Amino acid sequence: MANNVKIDWKNVFKLGFILLAISAVAACLLALTNYATAGTIVQLNEQTNKAARQEVLSEATDFEQIPPEDLAKIATEIGIENPGEVVEAFIGTNGGAVVGYTVKTAPTSGYAGEIQMLTGISADGLITGISILKNNETPGLGANAVLPAFRDQYKEKSALKEVTVVKTTPETGSNAIQAITGATITSRAVTSGVNMANQVYQTLSK
Amino acid sequence: MNFGKNLTRGIIRENPIFVLLLGMCPTLAVTTSAINGMGMGLATMAVLIGSNVVISAMRKIIPDNIRIPAFVVIIASFVTIIGMLMKAYVPALDAALGIFIPLIVVNCIILARAEAFAFGNGVADSFADGLGMGLGFTVALTILGSIREILGAGSIFGNVIFGIDGLIKVAYEPVIIMILPPGAFLTLGLLIGLINWKSKKKA
Repeated sequence: MANNVKIDWKNVFKLGFILLAISAVAACLLALTNYATAGTIVQLNEQTNKAARQEVLSEATDFEQIPPEDLAKIATEIGIENPGEVVEAFIGTNGGAVVGYTVKTAPTSGYAGEIQMLTGISADGLITGISILKNNETPGLGANAVLPAFRDQYKEKSALKEVTVVKTTPETGSNAIQAITGATITSRAVTSGVNMANQVYQTLSK
Repeated sequence: MNFGKNLTRGIIRENPIFVLLLGMCPTLAVTTSAINGMGMGLATMAVLIGSNVVISAMRKIIPDNIRIPAFVVIIASFVTIIGMLMKAYVPALDAALGIFIPLIVVNCIILARAEAFAFGNGVADSFADGLGMGLGFTVALTILGSIREILGAGSIFGNVIFGIDGLIKVAYEPVIIMILPPGAFLTLGLLIGLINWKSKKKA
């Protein structure tokens, strides 16, 4: 043991104290900025989510959220492998009548992790549109899933059966969409998000 | 040391990307489009100026043997503050740059300028150094992003150049490899080569 090494405790405490003071000032500044921006950030997220709901289910004028604990129960009941991938669901109404549902899902099977997306389904069981909220897919390939050319393929597909992915132009009347060239994994992930939403819809509309 | 010299040094003579080869990780990763490169450059510049000024102002208070942890605290605070401001006021840019904003903390340009310049020079000179290095970084990232976007997507700053509905009406198949990681290495390598060749010819 290095018993003969003398530690200069006075200096250790002095340095520690200076570092503590710097960190304390930094923490105060961070708290202040957080206080100033937190409200705006929450509001902005809320606005984005609301605009997305309106986009995928344009008929609805009001949205009412399904209680998260109910949704979690549904997700487990219908046997979704990872119930956390079903994020939230809303009932869309117009003048008191239910016109459809929006389901936010986050399939983790994307090429670069989680894809946050929203699926709108009308009360008569047709997909009214999807919107990709957040993704880290490859620019130029998987990231093209946000473009209408790909997204609009889901419109008018049946929410009562599974949507499938094919690599060539799908036959008319089939419940299939064509994968993005070079981004089959992304296409499959988005479709799995849609299918989860379909399953949730099937339970909700019962 | 004069102000102008400190300012221009970072832009050309000691450009952080093309000459010093610092901060390669964000350079290669985010320059998939001109706007992403510019956004990342400006965000880094804001952090660089802030951290340079504060570290220079505090250089008499910060003891030598704890300077690195002190630098890291200061830099990390600036990055977090800028991240929060971007989330609140420019959400589109925040969504595009995503994970790379928190990564500015570990961008070695910032720690390098703190250690090599700000800790030993006055506030005004450090400000000029941060501004110059930041501008050099921004210009380099914008050039890289522009080249990759033009070749890889046929557009610049989101405006379509090549294509059926573009400025130049030709059938254009984007060279997708240019906006994938290999495109970053190819573009950066060729640019550095070009700059070295030019500066050698001059000398």
